[in-house]
Amino acid sequence: MYADLLNALPDVFSLANFAAVVIGVIAGIVVGAMPGLSATMAISVLVPFTFGLEPLVALGLMAGIYNGAMYGGAIPAVLLRIPGTPAAVATTFDGYPMAQKGEGGFALQVAVVSSAFGGVASAFALMLLAPPLSKVTLLFGPSEVFWVAIFGLASIIFLLGGNPVKGLISACFGVFVSVVGSDPIYGNDRFTFGQLEMLDGINIVILLVGLYALPPVIDLLETPLKTDGVKSSKLGTEPIWKALPRMKSYWKTWVRGSFIGIWIGILPGAGGSMAAFMSYNEARRASNTPETWGEGEPEGVAAAEVANNADTASALIPALTLGIPGTAVAAVMLGGLLVHGLQPGPMLFRDNPDIVFGFMWQFLFGAILLVVLGGSLATNSFARLLNLPRPLLGSVIIVLMLIGVYSIHGRMFDVYLMLGFGAIGWVMDRLKFPLPPVVLGLILGGFAEENLRLALRIGRGDPMVLFQNTTSLILVALTIAVIVGPSLKKRFTGKGKAQ
Amino acid sequence: MPASKNHRLARPETLTAIGIILVAAGFLIPTFDMRAISALLPATMLIGLILLSLLLLLSDQRKAGAGEEAKPMTGSPKRVIGAFLLIVAYALATDFIGFYVSTAATIPLVAWIFGYRNPLGLLIATVIVTGTIWAIFDFGMSQDFPTGRFWES
Repeated sequence: MYADLLNALPDVFSLANFAAVVIGVIAGIVVGAMPGLSATMAISVLVPFTFGLEPLVALGLMAGIYNGAMYGGAIPAVLLRIPGTPAAVATTFDGYPMAQKGEGGFALQVAVVSSAFGGVASAFALMLLAPPLSKVTLLFGPSEVFWVAIFGLASIIFLLGGNPVKGLISACFGVFVSVVGSDPIYGNDRFTFGQLEMLDGINIVILLVGLYALPPVIDLLETPLKTDGVKSSKLGTEPIWKALPRMKSYWKTWVRGSFIGIWIGILPGAGGSMAAFMSYNEARRASNTPETWGEGEPEGVAAAEVANNADTASALIPALTLGIPGTAVAAVMLGGLLVHGLQPGPMLFRDNPDIVFGFMWQFLFGAILLVVLGGSLATNSFARLLNLPRPLLGSVIIVLMLIGVYSIHGRMFDVYLMLGFGAIGWVMDRLKFPLPPVVLGLILGGFAEENLRLALRIGRGDPMVLFQNTTSLILVALTIAVIVGPSLKKRFTGKGKAQ
Repeated sequence: MPASKNHRLARPETLTAIGIILVAAGFLIPTFDMRAISALLPATMLIGLILLSLLLLLSDQRKAGAGEEAKPMTGSPKRVIGAFLLIVAYALATDFIGFYVSTAATIPLVAWIFGYRNPLGLLIATVIVTGTIWAIFDFGMSQDFPTGRFWES
């Protein structure tokens, strides 16, 4: 089962594939360091540019960006008390007080080493858990695959928290977008309105860029952030190898935080910020000096950063094996896989072992590279990025978005479509409609429809064919549990509190 | 009463729900001409969107009835509308007068309008970004960008 994993290793060390991870990590740190930009947005903008690249080069870039951005978010969190990414909120609790005491450099070193530890643990979890899970899913037929798609959608809608009605609206919208184009079996047009450009359906990249890249650009231009400016001399950094002995005592926090991050990453709908908060609280509970937490305790930075990086690769365990992403970034990465003709699911492991296992190695090396690329000297340089003017940054991203979307088919129609999705995405974002169900709806909609119709053909039109085997029934039960579970939990917790 | 009624209907969530209902109902019409099996999924989704939006509308109106204030979607609507219009104008300009001319004008214009007013910085940024795009995409990857319908005609 794991032989393919070792066989994929040499490919990862080819110059192009390894350079992609290095560039990805650097780009990720840069993006993460800029408040308002996130890994999801960066990967969305990147995906169209990877069309012409080899799959492992493209995936290496994405893996690097994901790892880098999770650490990069700690830079403004520590220096300005502004989390660069939502997952870095817990890092501000002790990181910023450390910076005020003149220990900002050490706080960032703790953050980078902890992030690397979490990232490595997460990559190992992906390597160990994904292959056996994919073997199980190989046994699935059309009705089981249909239920897996429904379960995936249900989990991301109902476990994401927030208003389930809004989650359902998002998912319906995503599934509706997936049916635009020619019917997969009969070939008749659906909702193309005579536009030849729509016959092949709506490319996922157009939707990703519109939904995930345009709203942050509008945010950048809407609220110009004024920073105090950060001088690297204020960081007070020493070489990272000299700082390592001071971190020896954090190993328990790192191990605990890694387990929390991996578990949260696997759960659909949770995410890095929840992992960081849980890890921070658990570490403070276990500490002998909980009163010092919040006043510049380096272990607090370690707890938050190890967990928010430990949920990166693990979020891809359900994504790669079942097509159910654990986080929004994983959903966007699924889009990136589709761009290269790689359909997430069991067949991915059977048909493209070199790519899927190579991708796992790239996650591991990306995490290790964090220490090298995000170390003391580099951190000083990345900290200066905070001085970049946001309006200028916004205008450059607009240009990149247009180039990326135009390059897909070389037509402006896609750019206008992207702007339409961008406007919808901005409204959804402001009204707190979750965006991941839209992406998942688009990915799973066509997949679910094809398998539903296949199952109905096998059952000669009898819908009971969808409930005729144990696996389907288990998946139906899981779907119901995911839908009913959160409201039951809320009711019981509410009663408990009232009593 | 009419004023308060207007106010209640002008809530962002209510307007969004009404918009979704209207658009989904519009898209539902073509499904009547499709084969039943082809229309199954889209029609289900559109009916789902209509019903869910009705729920959203009712819940928002109930909040309005209880006197709950609707949060504005943005603190600076002019900046948001301006940003969006500039992006649309950039896309149209690319389509009609060509990519490089539009890009060279858009980068400094957007940055200037939204608060970055250092002429030298703007010039350097515009030259670097436009030059890098040309070197990577046009020269390196032979990617053709729109030359402009205006010049073609």
